[in-house]
Amino acid sequence: MNDEEKVIHTYTKDVLLPIIKRVKTYLYDEMNIDVFNTSEITCPKNIHLKKNTVMIGTTGSIKLIITLGFDEELLNKMVETFLDGENISEFDLSEVRDSVACEVTNTIIGNAIDNPIDNSDIYITPPVLVCSAKTLNKEKNSKFAFITFITKYGEIELTAVGPKEQFENELKFIEN
Amino acid sequence: MLKVLIVDDSLAIRIKMKNYVEKLGHNVVGEAKNGSEAVKLYKELSPDLVTMDISMPEMNGVDALKEIIKKINSDANIIMITANGQDGIVKDSLLSGAKGYILKPISEEKLQDSIGKIFSEYIVKDSNILDENDLADL
Repeated sequence: MNDEEKVIHTYTKDVLLPIIKRVKTYLYDEMNIDVFNTSEITCPKNIHLKKNTVMIGTTGSIKLIITLGFDEELLNKMVETFLDGENISEFDLSEVRDSVACEVTNTIIGNAIDNPIDNSDIYITPPVLVCSAKTLNKEKNSKFAFITFITKYGEIELTAVGPKEQFENELKFIEN
Repeated sequence: MLKVLIVDDSLAIRIKMKNYVEKLGHNVVGEAKNGSEAVKLYKELSPDLVTMDISMPEMNGVDALKEIIKKINSDANIIMITANGQDGIVKDSLLSGAKGYILKPISEEKLQDSIGKIFSEYIVKDSNILDENDLADL
């Protein structure tokens, strides 16, 4: 293994752990929602996306696709807290729900993303709401990391997708 | 009372920001969903203050900031809004003429601090928003 490969192999865990932490602190501080349980990080062969799933890519020296998927009741609770009693029309409600899901994801990942490899900036793409694709299948050179956060209003699923070599065994992810 | 233009592709953020602006006693004169709309509305409305999201489709906030500063008003009062506080993005905005930035999640207090740094009549004590001395260190 050369030096460049060593660097690549270590960063997924270093990128994910601050995001995992920020999911919990954001929900608690901004939404008054307590994450009372968190699953172990696993590396499944495919991912079934929730209906309300937002996707963000990272660019620069770190390249990952990160998704956050929200249960319906949890998203409704977040919308209610986010709007803080502000009245919105029925016409705008659907767009507001989508934009809250995107905004929460953008803030969590934007706040947490850091570069464990070098001092260069990591940029994140604008968030995209996944509407029709329901399942992500792992191809030969890709890999998923997957974690679930459990709250009284439902679950959030965090997925990171990237080249296989970024997910080395020493990260101690549990394979499904 | 300030005339404020809100620029953000997120409807939820525009609603929230409008709520904060109005609670602080100012007037929202326009809302834009991307940088191109922001430039167009800035020309039409000549707002006292712009809150500008950085990450937007079509034209992002940094490019819109540069166009407004270069082509319309070199002293425009623009506060950048970002979830990602990394040095390069923020420094580029500030060196391009932004008067400050707010790191998401946004709050009424953060907005009030930012406004106070630009407009002395709305100054708030104990603000932690960047000022000219901070800019000189960049």
